[in-house]
Amino acid sequence: MISPLYDTFLNVVAFAFIGLLIWLYFKPSAIDKEQSSDSEKGGPGAS
Amino acid sequence: MFSNPMLLVALAITGAVAVWGIVDTAGLAAFAAELVSLQFQSRAWFIMLAVSFMLITCLCLALSRYGRIKLGKDDDVPEFSTVSWLTMLFAAGMGVGLLYWGTAEPMTHYLLISKYEDPRKAASLALFVTNFHWGLHAWAIYALTGLVIAYFGFRRGCPSMVGAPIVKVFGANPLTRTVAWLSDLMAIVAIAIGLGGSVAMGVFQVKEGVDVLFGLEDTGLGLTLGIFVVLCLSYILPLTVDLGRGMALLSNIAMIVAGGLMIFILLAGPTHFLMGGIVQAAGEYFSGVWTQGFRTYTFMDDKVGNWFQSWTLTYMVWWLAWAPFVGVFIARISKGRTIREFLCGVILVPTIFSILWFGVFGGVGFYGALELDVPILDVVRDNVSGVTFFVLDKFPLRFLTIAAVVAAAFLFLITSVVSAAFVLGMFSTGGDLNPSARVKLMWGVILGALGLVMILSGSIDAVKSIIALGALPFVFIVLLLVVCLLKALKSERLQS
Repeated sequence: MISPLYDTFLNVVAFAFIGLLIWLYFKPSAIDKEQSSDSEKGGPGAS
Repeated sequence: MFSNPMLLVALAITGAVAVWGIVDTAGLAAFAAELVSLQFQSRAWFIMLAVSFMLITCLCLALSRYGRIKLGKDDDVPEFSTVSWLTMLFAAGMGVGLLYWGTAEPMTHYLLISKYEDPRKAASLALFVTNFHWGLHAWAIYALTGLVIAYFGFRRGCPSMVGAPIVKVFGANPLTRTVAWLSDLMAIVAIAIGLGGSVAMGVFQVKEGVDVLFGLEDTGLGLTLGIFVVLCLSYILPLTVDLGRGMALLSNIAMIVAGGLMIFILLAGPTHFLMGGIVQAAGEYFSGVWTQGFRTYTFMDDKVGNWFQSWTLTYMVWWLAWAPFVGVFIARISKGRTIREFLCGVILVPTIFSILWFGVFGGVGFYGALELDVPILDVVRDNVSGVTFFVLDKFPLRFLTIAAVVAAAFLFLITSVVSAAFVLGMFSTGGDLNPSARVKLMWGVILGALGLVMILSGSIDAVKSIIALGALPFVFIVLLLVVCLLKALKSERLQS
């Protein structure tokens, strides 16, 4: 049987990871900054 | 070659696992079982939530305006015909597992479920659970990983590496480079250990087939190791030369043999019973799959809890372990398709094939157990690797069908090891699309050694635990990659 402390630790890591993913999704990042330069070329799929 | 830290660290980790397993097989198996059990007890909810989230994400992407985005430049066209594309997808993702578990898996679930339910109801539930393990959720894991690699590779110009999208989306800095590097490393470890397990399973099955074909008894480990040595010798040549599409051809032949076998069993067996079972299983699967995706069996007893860990959770992390390997492969063959086409093809078609497959092979097992009173459940209890051959033994042309399964299993094994050695070589050399024969051979040796460890462990349960141990960290990486994909798609929509 898993000890309560270890169980709590493993779950807190999972909660923190979910929080991190949500934060990363909304955080402005490098790919958003690329947006303007790509727009001038016609977008990422332009040949 | 030895100045590449990724290659050295990856070889060191996988080599250490292999050496530990060969020196102290029982110790490694016990360690893996203990650690995996702790993780599964504590994080079952997280794994089920993650895989259900992946399936829902696939559905949303396929139905949304993002579905029209091409995996490549806007004027790229698909390289392979749709039929050829679908065949290759399926052979890559499931391969030898289908031959091994076709009858054995539904019957194994039946052994447990029949303790709680009426036998007829238990048979239908056992098929449902099997279809769940091999269905939409499994393929959603593959599809999303493949989609990330294809989108960033063909549309954003990144190398075909697991970590590349992280650097692309969040910018190149020491932190993102470290996370990307670790992701690539974990992908390598997960692929290598996962493939070692498949090698062991395939060798167990080929050995059983040879036993049945030639009426051998109590051949023990000797024949198993003999088959393993033949397998190793068989994949050395393809690793040293570039066979190009030859590997795809071998894989397609194995797939055609497997498909032919399914049609043979359907027509030569109790066709009305099997077709009835398939239609019922399809209906039950599609109506219950969403609830099952969130089911954690929290309120059931320990027996069911252990079953859930050693089957459902193990399968989900097993698919995660294979995801980078299959993802790279399906990405490579999907250039020029739209996201909608890609997701529908990768998720729906193999799921439907799996329902047919288990409907036929599982159905024939249930027909034997429920209608004819054949002692198939005893075989499932005593020797799970021999179940497929026990079934084929009851059909006409037994020599031919058993030989076909042995040949197909062997072909699947060779193509899997060769493809995996290529992908591992690519990942461990920073995305080199033509890794040297020496690097591929080195990975071939490591894969062989890991396969040997799993064979020496002598039990499928130990194999499953060791695979899960290698694959568990990957659930975090796949979720991170999904965030990268969603951010990139959002950014593309904003700019258009």
